[in-house]
Amino acid sequence: MKNETTLLVDGQEKRVIAEIVDKKIWFKVDEQIFAYDIVELSQSSHAKSKGQEKSPDKIKAPMPGKITKIFVKEGQTVKKGDAMIVMEAMKMEYTLKSDLDTTVEKVNAQINDQVTLGSLLVQLKVEAK
Amino acid sequence: MRSIRRVAIANRGEVAVRIIRACEELGLETVLLHSDVDINSRAYRMATKKICIGPAPTAQSYLNIEANINGALAAGADAIHPGFGFLSENADFAEQCEKAGLLFIGPSSEAIRKLGDKVSFKNLAQKAGLPLIPGYQGENQEIDFLLKEVERIGLPVIVKAAAGGGGRGMKLINSLAEAKDLIESAQREALSAFGSAQVFLEKYLGRAKHIEFQIFGDSTGHVVHLFDRECSVQRRHQKIIEEATSPSLTDDLRRKMGETACAIASLGKYKNAGTVEFLLQDGEFYLLEVNTRLQVEHPVTEEVLGVDLVKMQILTAQGKFVFAPNEIRIPKGHSIECRVYAENPYMNGVPSTGLLGTVQWPEGPRRRYEYGFESGDTITSYYDPMIAKVIVWDESRPRAIQKMIRTLKDSTVFGVHTNIPYLIEILSHEEFQSGKMTTRFIETYFAEGLKSKIEDSLVKKWAQEVHKKTKGSSSAVGGNGSAPVSSNSPWMTHWRGV
Repeated sequence: MKNETTLLVDGQEKRVIAEIVDKKIWFKVDEQIFAYDIVELSQSSHAKSKGQEKSPDKIKAPMPGKITKIFVKEGQTVKKGDAMIVMEAMKMEYTLKSDLDTTVEKVNAQINDQVTLGSLLVQLKVEAK
Repeated sequence: MRSIRRVAIANRGEVAVRIIRACEELGLETVLLHSDVDINSRAYRMATKKICIGPAPTAQSYLNIEANINGALAAGADAIHPGFGFLSENADFAEQCEKAGLLFIGPSSEAIRKLGDKVSFKNLAQKAGLPLIPGYQGENQEIDFLLKEVERIGLPVIVKAAAGGGGRGMKLINSLAEAKDLIESAQREALSAFGSAQVFLEKYLGRAKHIEFQIFGDSTGHVVHLFDRECSVQRRHQKIIEEATSPSLTDDLRRKMGETACAIASLGKYKNAGTVEFLLQDGEFYLLEVNTRLQVEHPVTEEVLGVDLVKMQILTAQGKFVFAPNEIRIPKGHSIECRVYAENPYMNGVPSTGLLGTVQWPEGPRRRYEYGFESGDTITSYYDPMIAKVIVWDESRPRAIQKMIRTLKDSTVFGVHTNIPYLIEILSHEEFQSGKMTTRFIETYFAEGLKSKIEDSLVKKWAQEVHKKTKGSSSAVGGNGSAPVSSNSPWMTHWRGV
């Protein structure tokens, strides 16, 4: 069930509808819809930015879907831009590419696997700097 | 011709709901042939009977001919409506329905083979002297021969898989130096994706508009056209916004293209609803392909003409629909359809799945909503991301655009992200409003997707405040947690066709 409240936007009191769905808070203000992860709401902005820090060595599923092709195996060298995995969701194909020149440490997926959002699919080796 | 008592629906989502509505109005019962995950859908709740034909993956359910036919027979259906997508343009499916004694609500399997097959259609059109995009669609697949044809046609040229669709096995040749590699690569892709290495060549039209004509063959085989639609706003060959009638046609062009559409349909002895697609560039039109089925964007034609294409389809299949002689149809006003996709417009259109919270499609004069899912249903990753269509009608194109923007702003979907902000940006764009957009409109102006105008830190502040103010009230909808995703995604997206 949705709730109604108000929010002060640019000095004006605006009507807001809001609802928690699946651990996210969804709300609509000024004809725009926003969603925010509830767990992140209580974290400091520093903690959040750390949690969301981009780690190019970890290749994760950006959505739930099916693994349709795997081009790499453990120990293989990859170059920046090389295709590593293809997955499919909602009739779209996604090609997952490497952002690094490195070697593959581990492949965590198999063809036809149904994976969830955020699953770690490929771990790349991080070069010591 | 037989009468129908119970119609099986070999489809899902909003089109299944659309067909159920038409059947209900005609006093017919319905059987929904569904996959196991689709029990949480509006069509499931509406259908008279439901038969589960298999698990979620389409190959085992919605694309399984035997399962669909057996399900329809088991439920005592006497006809099948295939909707669009899935098996709707599969001649074998139409033929096996006919053999099993089920009336296929659509054209004959013969007409699907003749007009739905790209090469057969081109040969038919060429023989009749109808305007085709310059190209080569013959049997000779030797690389040296095809290279000579590329030179003859003139660059740029597109090579396409004969058995394909939706962009797979399709390559754009911009220079003769790369032509050999691209043709051979297209042949390989065609073989692996469609089981046939045959390709054809087409001159690439870089400033074209996508115009299509709704055609309809009545019970006697009399074919008329029900005017045109324009669908130039496409992303990776997927239509996003459609309208009727096209803002780009003069009376003369409309008459000539309509005659051409009827001519090709008559050659294929077409009965029931279909669409003849054209490209229009520099005042010249070219036949593109025929879609031997109901089209996603059929509502805009219904709105400007005041017809019900799905009821016409069902009546035609029973031999009960005949156009009145000398019947004059004149389109009135303007209608626009927007496809609402479950995707995140601020993350370059990455699909968004999950449990639906509040869903609101507020009523208003001449606003029409076609949707298949409601609050409490789950959008899964197995199927097409289109979750709804919003259709409006108004007296003129500018007013219809204004009405659509207002309607989209009024609409609310919680639980999955939608492309609604993206649609509003497109509708507000000067080139769209001028009516001059071509099929390259999206890649020219919206290649990067959308950037959020509001800082994440402000959204977070608002979210904290809203959360605090509404806490304690019973607002939560259950479900599994999900991990945040970086927006700097290294992913490339490719659409597979609809």
